[in-house]
Amino acid sequence: MRTTVNRNPALCLTLALLVVIALISATSQPKGFAQDLAKNPNAISAVNPSLNLTLPLKEGSVRFAIIGDTGTGSSQQYQVGAMMEKYHAIFPFAFVVMLGDNMYGGEKPKDYEVKFERAYQKLIDNKVKFYASLGNHDQTTQVNYEPFNMNGKEFYRFTKGNAAFYALNSTYMDKRQIEWLETELAKDTSEWKICFFHHPPYSSGGKHGSEKQLREIVEPIFVKHGVNVVLTGHDHFYERIKPQKGIYYFVSGAGGKLRKGDVRANSPLTAKAFDTDLHFMIAEIVNDSLYFQAISRTGETIDSGVLARPRKN
Amino acid sequence: MKFKSNKRRNYPLPATCILSATLLILAPFSGSGAQKRTTATPTSATDRNTASTFVARAKTYIKLRNGVQSKLPTLSKDSTPEQITAHKKAFGDGVRAARVSAKPGDVFVPAAGEYLRRMIRTEFKGQDRGEVKEAILEAETAGVPLKVNYPYPETKEVSAIPPTLLLKLPELPKELNYRFVGRHMLLMDKENGLIIDYLRNALP
Repeated sequence: MRTTVNRNPALCLTLALLVVIALISATSQPKGFAQDLAKNPNAISAVNPSLNLTLPLKEGSVRFAIIGDTGTGSSQQYQVGAMMEKYHAIFPFAFVVMLGDNMYGGEKPKDYEVKFERAYQKLIDNKVKFYASLGNHDQTTQVNYEPFNMNGKEFYRFTKGNAAFYALNSTYMDKRQIEWLETELAKDTSEWKICFFHHPPYSSGGKHGSEKQLREIVEPIFVKHGVNVVLTGHDHFYERIKPQKGIYYFVSGAGGKLRKGDVRANSPLTAKAFDTDLHFMIAEIVNDSLYFQAISRTGETIDSGVLARPRKN
Repeated sequence: MKFKSNKRRNYPLPATCILSATLLILAPFSGSGAQKRTTATPTSATDRNTASTFVARAKTYIKLRNGVQSKLPTLSKDSTPEQITAHKKAFGDGVRAARVSAKPGDVFVPAAGEYLRRMIRTEFKGQDRGEVKEAILEAETAGVPLKVNYPYPETKEVSAIPPTLLLKLPELPKELNYRFVGRHMLLMDKENGLIIDYLRNALP
């Protein structure tokens, strides 16, 4: 059987060119790109010089992102979402914790789409899970929304690796919730205990500031049961609080709304603050260390560091 | 290496008595703040009776709304926004129809109203509490209707109730919440978003 071979030189050249392009493309971004980066973080700057990852990308670590006060549907919220996607490509976090005010100004089906789904579409498509907590602009019915992973509950717990995460409803911290929190924390043997909710027990916000009545109730419980980190929103800026009674507190409430210049100057609480643009956070837990990085809407690293978990004797 | 002696020290009797008395006095103030506050129960028999009547009336509402809910398709915990919205509307409409004759004060009966106002007044004494009151009054709740059986507008903020106050108020069935709208207190159904009752000028 004879095979007909097309000897047209122009066609041959085109085919050869296409093969070369395909080879170059495969070499520059191989399959499993993000996974490869996890093994070689130095490759990041070569690929995208504008992104600066400070987290160690250790194998087997717990990787997550943190966003608060997101649900505006504004172009700024979408820009934060786009920046999160870029960082996800170089730091493949598995889940996102949401610090409340997930939807401002209405919760019709269209609002879920505009104020959440479309803003983080690529992350959702990449199977990144979102765990929400409720803020003062959220309806309780959000607990049944599948992508928020609340399983019908206003307050709930989940674990990832050596860390336990507690989502609380700080808008309504009643006896039922406090008793649940005490009971769950008392039996929790996780190495890291991280609570996330909307209202900040400590904050240097001019508009809201520290929620002292909430602090009066929850802080003794956190201290008693060895909570390590508390993530909150409500104030529309970023603030890392100086450790309080051995606990690290963060305010990360500018994922979709900004209150420019709202951090009180010279606040004795502030370790680091940023109130001139929107932001999100990424974090990585490696054994006894929690690495964090706060990133602005435009990709600037506004804060980073590592928190140490005190070892139990 | 030297060890300290384990021998017990003998304290003189008066000193022991003073120490014991001090410990007894301080005992109620020890432990966590939460432990102190979770035991807030009305002190007088009248207050206990008022609080239990109020809670019983709230439970009567729960029985009615549960009856309505049982006739609706169950809302799954992994619902779509369309399902959530449709369920909330059907639930709200059903409850409104079932308690069409409901009026203000059905749950917040006058005695309960006075009791709650007194609890709130006590809680909001002092400078810190003044700040909380200010925060409640600043919440974007203007336009929320003070009307029984009306839905709380989704576009409006929900003011946080200070947990220190919540722990002093009668504990509601889990389906209900206390809410503030300006100086007024609402009783809200969390799942259908309806205003079940309201108490005027609850805040001092």
